[in-house]
Amino acid sequence: MSQNVVASLKLPPKVSGEKPSSGHMDEFGANFARFMMRCNAECGELAEFNMGGQQTVLMSGPEAQEAFFKTLDLKLSRAAAYQATVPVFGKGVIFDAPPDKMKVQLKIQVDALRYQNMKNYSTVISQEVEDWVASWGDEGELDFLDEFLRLTLHTATHCLLGKDFRDRMTEEFRELYHALEKGLQAIAFVDPYMQQPVFEARDKALVRLQALIGGIIAERRASSHIEYGDALETFMAGTYTDGSQLTENEITGLVIATMFAGHHTSSGTATWTLTELARQKEYSAEVSEELQALFKSGSEITLESLREIPKLEAFIEEVLRLHPPLVLLMRRVIEDIEYNGTLIEAGKTVAISIYGSHRNTDYFPDPEKFDPYRPKPDTLFAYIPFGGGPHKCAGNAFAMMQMKAIFAALLPRYEFELVDPDETYQDDLSAIVLKPTGPCRLRYTKRK
Amino acid sequence: MKIKIDLALCQGHSVCLDEAPEVFDVIDQDDGYPQVRVLLDNPPQELREKVMKAAKYCPNNVITVLED
Repeated sequence: MSQNVVASLKLPPKVSGEKPSSGHMDEFGANFARFMMRCNAECGELAEFNMGGQQTVLMSGPEAQEAFFKTLDLKLSRAAAYQATVPVFGKGVIFDAPPDKMKVQLKIQVDALRYQNMKNYSTVISQEVEDWVASWGDEGELDFLDEFLRLTLHTATHCLLGKDFRDRMTEEFRELYHALEKGLQAIAFVDPYMQQPVFEARDKALVRLQALIGGIIAERRASSHIEYGDALETFMAGTYTDGSQLTENEITGLVIATMFAGHHTSSGTATWTLTELARQKEYSAEVSEELQALFKSGSEITLESLREIPKLEAFIEEVLRLHPPLVLLMRRVIEDIEYNGTLIEAGKTVAISIYGSHRNTDYFPDPEKFDPYRPKPDTLFAYIPFGGGPHKCAGNAFAMMQMKAIFAALLPRYEFELVDPDETYQDDLSAIVLKPTGPCRLRYTKRK
Repeated sequence: MKIKIDLALCQGHSVCLDEAPEVFDVIDQDDGYPQVRVLLDNPPQELREKVMKAAKYCPNNVITVLED
């Protein structure tokens, strides 16, 4: 940008309440979704705040969000904003890979989500749901926050690493995965290499997981004639532009990255969907009728039979509006950008609040009301549960398929009710991925 | 009917290729995601249903069908 242009531009308005030492960190940390709604209400489309020393500009409204999604990676970098993932996925993986290698790795990730694999995944997921409900009996009470975390860990490992691995899945694997999860908490986004016991545990877990998954890769390379139909097979077949294959640690990193992208997001959404089904009696009756008609006892759940379930889809979409799994997205400004007469300087972070966007009254009147029939906005950048633009979540079709597979199996068989008072089921906004505050107890009863 | 494509959104999921192989192909790129290529800009009416499904089930809303 030329000096003349820069001189004529405004700077983004600053949000009130900044403290000398920590900026807005305390208010942000306590409830970042609510804080970002305050930023937007006070300052409008652009609002600058201080996140523990990092100047951050919140971009709100569909036009600003479109600019956020469509500005080139070279100017707005995901990699620079998400460095906390590097010690979790491993060196040279995704946000630590050079840009050309990162592109290929993301492409290989999408390859694992293509049609033939998706067919296998839908079968895998419905098998896992069957195994899960097998011991339920006619009625009971469960904490579904816990249940869905376990179910989606099973479906994720089964789809990614195959049946053999899923059947042999050990307590050790769960603990390693859990240690990596803990390595991605909020402080990791300030500095992921601080001297902290959680980060030491994270580093040890990654080394062990690389050995474990590396072992499976070596086993498979030794018996190359077997077809697995899982993501690991696709990752192992992938090549860079020069024809070379990914290293074992890069493949392991892709497995971990895919687990992280899909596990908590799916389990949180499943938990909220079931909770809203128990809460919204009128709509859930319609959804159950639709599913009972489509999946009469014994009719198989497949990719084709799951493709079109309009009432269930509308219900899940409304759950994703009110409870978007990722509350905010970030990029680091690498090169000065101009938006609507305002200069956003290199070195700052830009953010968008999906949670806030989904409560924008211009597009969602009476936003807290659950209404699966509310009209769709006439822009692609107001309703953004999976983000948008060139980097939209590549797993969006997988995620919807998984949700539909779970509820197509559950709802024709069981009815669900809240156990605790309605108002105790709330969004937990302290974590990076949204879920209800736990426990999330529901009672189930077999349909007659 | 006419087909409009927003290539910036395409990640090469290939749903369109499964729904309407007469109309869509997906081409590998040297770097980045494979990209859709439209084989028939003005597909005949008998392919309408297939094209509409390709547009509807595209995970990234890449395909827009315009009426003549």
